Amino acid sequence: MASPTSDVTTAAAADDPAVGLRAIRALRELADRLEVLQVANARSRGWSWQQVADALGVTRQAAHKKHAGNRKDD
Amino acid sequence: MFERFTDEARHVVAAAQEEARALRADEVAPVHLLLALAAGGGPAGRLMQAAGLDADRLRSAARRSGDPLDADALAALGVDLDQVRAAAEAAFGPGALDPPPAGGHIGFAGGSRRSLEEALRSAVRRKDRRLDTGHLLAGVLAVGDPQVGRVLRELGTDPRELRDQAEGDGEVA
Repeated sequence: MASPTSDVTTAAAADDPAVGLRAIRALRELADRLEVLQVANARSRGWSWQQVADALGVTRQAAHKKHAGNRKDD
Repeated sequence: MFERFTDEARHVVAAAQEEARALRADEVAPVHLLLALAAGGGPAGRLMQAAGLDADRLRSAARRSGDPLDADALAALGVDLDQVRAAAEAAFGPGALDPPPAGGHIGFAGGSRRSLEEALRSAVRRKDRRLDTGHLLAGVLAVGDPQVGRVLRELGTDPRELRDQAEGDGEVA
């Protein structure tokens, strides 16, 4: 198991697939959870779905489909 | 099936659902039964206390092992999850980074149902009329759930030894 102090490059280029893949999964999960928070915040400040989508670099439909069910946003 | 359960054993089954909810799980897994057994009374609670299996420490081990937001993996990438969490909570409130809560009713996972069946089998085998928390613990350990094994080993307990103790505790005590 990698120590917390290990180099960024150690894991990014880790040749142990177990370490590398676990890190990818954790990053994706982290990004997903942050995305939920950020989108909810943007919407509660009155951002349109189009504005949210532009910022995320996705289509309006994709942003709406992924997030419209969350919180009080339907 | 529940009519043979002692009050403590019934309580453990109900408490396991609360443990699952508190860990934001979408079903009641064997590890949640294990947590409820550690926090509850009866033979299993005494046995686990004697083995140094504190409910709070088990809970945090279960939280770590069940969450795909793996702090060690992120640390290896140079991402400090505690820092990210602190920033998210400062902006969005406590628990902001926790997984979304499971909506509504949460059911028992297959492994948990098998645990209850094994508990019943253990009681029958020992010719006990009542099913107590000791039988429940033996049942949980009989199904060999990998998360239960990981969490126990993390706290320095060999799942097989604990199972032997749970199976044998009627005669020893």
